[in-house]
Amino acid sequence: MKQFIYADNAATTKLDNEAFEAMTPYLLNEYGNASQPYSFAREPKKALAEARQIIAEAINALPEEIYFTSGGTESDNWAIKGSAFLDTYKRATITSAIEHHAVLRACEAIERLGYPVVYINPDSKGLITPDALDSTITDNTRLVSVMYSNNEIGTIEPVKELAQIAHGHGALFHTDAVQAIGHINIDVKALGVDMLSASAHKFNGPKGIGFLYIKKGISIASFSDGGSQESGLRAGTENIAAIVGMAIALRNNLAKLSDNETHILKLEQLLLSELSGFDFVRNGAENHVPGNISLSFKDRDGEAILHRLDLAGICVSTGSACDSVNTRISHVLKAIGLDDSYAKGTIRISLGKDNTEDDVKAIATALKRILLP
Amino acid sequence: MKVKKCKSCNTELKKDWIALHRKLLDKDAKEFLCISCLADTFGCEVEDLEIKIEEFKEEGCVLFK
Repeated sequence: MKQFIYADNAATTKLDNEAFEAMTPYLLNEYGNASQPYSFAREPKKALAEARQIIAEAINALPEEIYFTSGGTESDNWAIKGSAFLDTYKRATITSAIEHHAVLRACEAIERLGYPVVYINPDSKGLITPDALDSTITDNTRLVSVMYSNNEIGTIEPVKELAQIAHGHGALFHTDAVQAIGHINIDVKALGVDMLSASAHKFNGPKGIGFLYIKKGISIASFSDGGSQESGLRAGTENIAAIVGMAIALRNNLAKLSDNETHILKLEQLLLSELSGFDFVRNGAENHVPGNISLSFKDRDGEAILHRLDLAGICVSTGSACDSVNTRISHVLKAIGLDDSYAKGTIRISLGKDNTEDDVKAIATALKRILLP
Repeated sequence: MKVKKCKSCNTELKKDWIALHRKLLDKDAKEFLCISCLADTFGCEVEDLEIKIEEFKEEGCVLFK
């Protein structure tokens, strides 16, 4: 039988079994609308409240600070646009050049409406330094949005320090924590962030559900207008099954976070030692999301490596795509200044808690077969 | 036009196989493998490569035009 190794956990993750089991009653029998006053709505209403409580506790927030959304993209769009649209002075937004497109495209959208946006470049490790923000921010800045950890190279940003600088200038601070939640302990109070985006399918929850943490007392424009769901800020009937699945998946991931981290970091080291001898760069900072391994092989074609690995039954991502005319290198690899001869040969292997040593050895064997002349 | 043949087994090459060789092995290649020899090289089935060819075409990869 052909092997199958999933090593693209930064793209999405396998649904937690317990989360799946917890979801099914709300898809089949307990289908009542949680907003209705009759008794049939009690169970979904109770499940909604419990899920909000679990998620709030997971990040040290209050339940009323958790707003359910359709995922990370919606959360990011809401944070960026919602804070801009409430500000009649059209004050500036600062973000980084290596954000996910959900942030970058949302920023471009508000720019088209006349809201100024400044993009900070990272250093060669993908870090947005406090100095870089300090020299960019002004008292005219409305919002600073810097991701918690980068999806392509795994670098964890100094969010706490960046939030302090933002607050020192009267600005709000938002972080896209989609790649971090469920894999790193996050305490919104200790970090001092005003808004935080999360997506369930990145931490073994279902797709199509996420949340935006909005600190109590912070006002942003509503995402959607209609019913009174989510305190009237995000109208629309709640997806109870997905919300319940998200809460269970997050709770389960956090319960084994330390063990998972140790396991995954061991796998990382194994992979890197297996590949020693090849001419490659590992992208990102020392402080990174466990399992996110961005490798750039000199004078190689990342897209070809991806497809060759796929033919061997191994799923990874690439940081470049090419046709016979052009190679498109990702905005992240460009921003960290990676030499094109390496950038074109970039793949991202993102290991998860379910990967094994045998998986890593098989990935290394397949890579050697591709890379050796 | 000169007929191109597989550098390994001498099978007459199809346009898509040349494109696939360029896509997955060597963009600047002057000599090519047929789909069977490519499958041997990659350790996969010919059917896997036929599916890849169709996917690359659907994506609009210019090598397959």
